Amino acid sequence: MNPPAPPLIETRSLSKTYLVGDVRVAALADVTLAVPEGSFLAVTGASGSGKSTLLNLLGGLDTPSAGTIEVGGALVSAMDREALARYRRFAAGMIFQSFNLVAARTALENVELPLIFAGVNRTERKRRAAELLGKVGLAHRANHRPPELSGGEQQRVAVARALANGPRLLLADEPTGNLDSRTSREIVGLLAGLNRERNLTIIMVSHEEGLVREFAREIVRLQDGRIVAAESPA
Amino acid sequence: MRFADAVEFALGSLRKRRLRTFLTASGVMIGIGALVSMISFGKGMQKNVTDAFKASDLLSTLVVMPGGAEPPAGDPDRQRPRAKVPARPDVVLDDQAVAAIAKIPGVLRAYPDISFPAMVGYEGAEELRLIQVVPAAVAASRSMKITWGRAYASDEEAGVVVSRSLLRRMGTSDPASAVGKTIRITSVSVDLGRLATLDLGSILSGTASPLAQESYDFPILGVTDVAPFGGEANLTESGVLIPPGPAGRIKRLPITSIWDLFRMKGGRLGYSAVTVKLGSLGDLGAVRSKVHDMGYATFALADQFDEITRAFYVMDMVLAAVGMIAIIVAALGIVNTMVMSILERFREIGIMKAVGAGDRDIRRIFFFESGAIGFAGGAAGCVLGWVTSLVINRVVNFYLARQGMPFVNYFAFPFWIFLGAVGFSLLVSLVSGIYPARRASRVDPVVALRHD
Ligand SMILES: Nc1ncnc2c1ncn2[C@@H]1O[C@H](COP(=O)(O)OP(=O)(O)OP(=O)(O)O)[C@@H](O)[C@H]1O
Ligand SMILES: [Mg+2]
Repeated sequence: MNPPAPPLIETRSLSKTYLVGDVRVAALADVTLAVPEGSFLAVTGASGSGKSTLLNLLGGLDTPSAGTIEVGGALVSAMDREALARYRRFAAGMIFQSFNLVAARTALENVELPLIFAGVNRTERKRRAAELLGKVGLAHRANHRPPELSGGEQQRVAVARALANGPRLLLADEPTGNLDSRTSREIVGLLAGLNRERNLTIIMVSHEEGLVREFAREIVRLQDGRIVAAESPA
Repeated sequence: MRFADAVEFALGSLRKRRLRTFLTASGVMIGIGALVSMISFGKGMQKNVTDAFKASDLLSTLVVMPGGAEPPAGDPDRQRPRAKVPARPDVVLDDQAVAAIAKIPGVLRAYPDISFPAMVGYEGAEELRLIQVVPAAVAASRSMKITWGRAYASDEEAGVVVSRSLLRRMGTSDPASAVGKTIRITSVSVDLGRLATLDLGSILSGTASPLAQESYDFPILGVTDVAPFGGEANLTESGVLIPPGPAGRIKRLPITSIWDLFRMKGGRLGYSAVTVKLGSLGDLGAVRSKVHDMGYATFALADQFDEITRAFYVMDMVLAAVGMIAIIVAALGIVNTMVMSILERFREIGIMKAVGAGDRDIRRIFFFESGAIGFAGGAAGCVLGWVTSLVINRVVNFYLARQGMPFVNYFAFPFWIFLGAVGFSLLVSLVSGIYPARRASRVDPVVALRHD
């Protein structure tokens, strides 16, 4: 048996509390988690259990109230705004239930966005964006705008965009929440392929037991902001 | 993020909101247009006055005045401010003094200001005017703009030069037609014969007067046109210029106003002023001190010139302040548009942040957006200001031409006005962009991306 791979992600006592009026809402409480590189981790749990909160913290969109996050040896929880932006740009790609594409930009231009913020020159980023669209099977839709694309196609564009600057980590917050079951299976299949072929670490929030059991290699269950169960279905 | 990409982002989102961009930029355009035309008007006035001063020999003119009672302030006869170096009260400004002044090195000409009131009659109309006695050399000089006919050739030629405005008042719209016609000058003098027959009582009570009127006819040799700015007002506003020779033959009272009587010294009444033309402005100081040594007071327009320049500076400030109001309104328009734009693009900003845009990138995009509005508005404002001034200039000149004023450019456009206006507009728009750009960069991506 191989020695266990060093974890890509490590959180210690990660907490996020919101103050709503006078009431402190613990969206996430004392989450300690280690995710080895190359994992496909599914996060499940009831609505309001803190899944999105966890992903936003791991993705550098939000900052914890307490605890630490370390990704690839870098202490994300201690980063300032500028460093967090760089972290989002290069280290952690994110996709969402509502795709979050810029409606006025074409598929290709959406994929170009992270490359633009990375300062990649025009010809190089057009080339890379086209290549990524090809990888997710959308070369023929490059010049379409999101409203002209199906939900599945939009989520593929979002995946291509999340991978633009070559991150080692992809965070997916209910990526199939707006898709029918067949398209859902295609999208999760695409993620699983990336996980296998590129050793891309994937953390995916999903409610769909079937898909989770079929593709994920680890599952953690959240309840009221705490990890209540962890299992490895495969 | 590269500079060019940020510019492209900014222009792209402006293009998407064409109408709003256009309206906001129009606000800037109107503000800058107002500022440009205001400042160019100020500069135009300054240029016209300065040029008029330089073109005429007013700046190299020195007015010499004797001591004595000056007309009180507010009296229409008092044309000049009080002299800085007062004159000695005992000296009289007579022909001898004029000859002495003319001999001072640097003096080109010195001639007394002589004028007398008379009734001027032309083609049936009559006007009461001061007749100005002016030597031929002065009448022919470049400061006298004789547009129709000619100046009198010598101090002895029997003929007069009249102003266009006098002719107009007397009902003649075509000044050229007046050349060669006759003008009648009726003066008032003391009739010694009658004085002998009257008793003092009736003279003092005003029931009988020793005064008599006498008329003289002169051909009109030339007609002067008004210089719109500056110009030798005291010479042309009188309306009738006459050479010294024929003037000497007109019987008249030796005074122009009652104040002259207070200047009498030992029974002698000198001239109220002598105009001295200098070869160059550089001689002013030396000539002046010599004249002061002789006991006379002086007045030089060159002294006023600095004050005029200062006055124009103030005028520029006032005009710019008026223009600034429009600019402030435009700046608020930019802030409003940009803040609206943030609200509309809230989610887009969140997306850009989620895929790695830093605060600085977002700030830059918004900053460039407002900068582009300012630049476009500023450039358009220059064109607007320029076109507006051209139109106003045309219209004003059209109406003034009916009143006999020559064509004048009331606006001046030195190149720096345009550069300054665009630069200023850019600056204002960037300042207006500071708050919106900051606010956009502070958008919380988690909030922006929360599904709707
Ligand atoms: N900005 C906020 N202010 C106050 N409370 C918040 C805020 N964001 C999240 N919460 C609370 O934190 C808890 C966790 O929210 P979170 O969005 O992480 O849940 P979730 O597991 O993603 O739910 P869902 O499956 O519905 O997406 C919820 O109770 C929510 O109300
Ligand atoms: Mg959620």
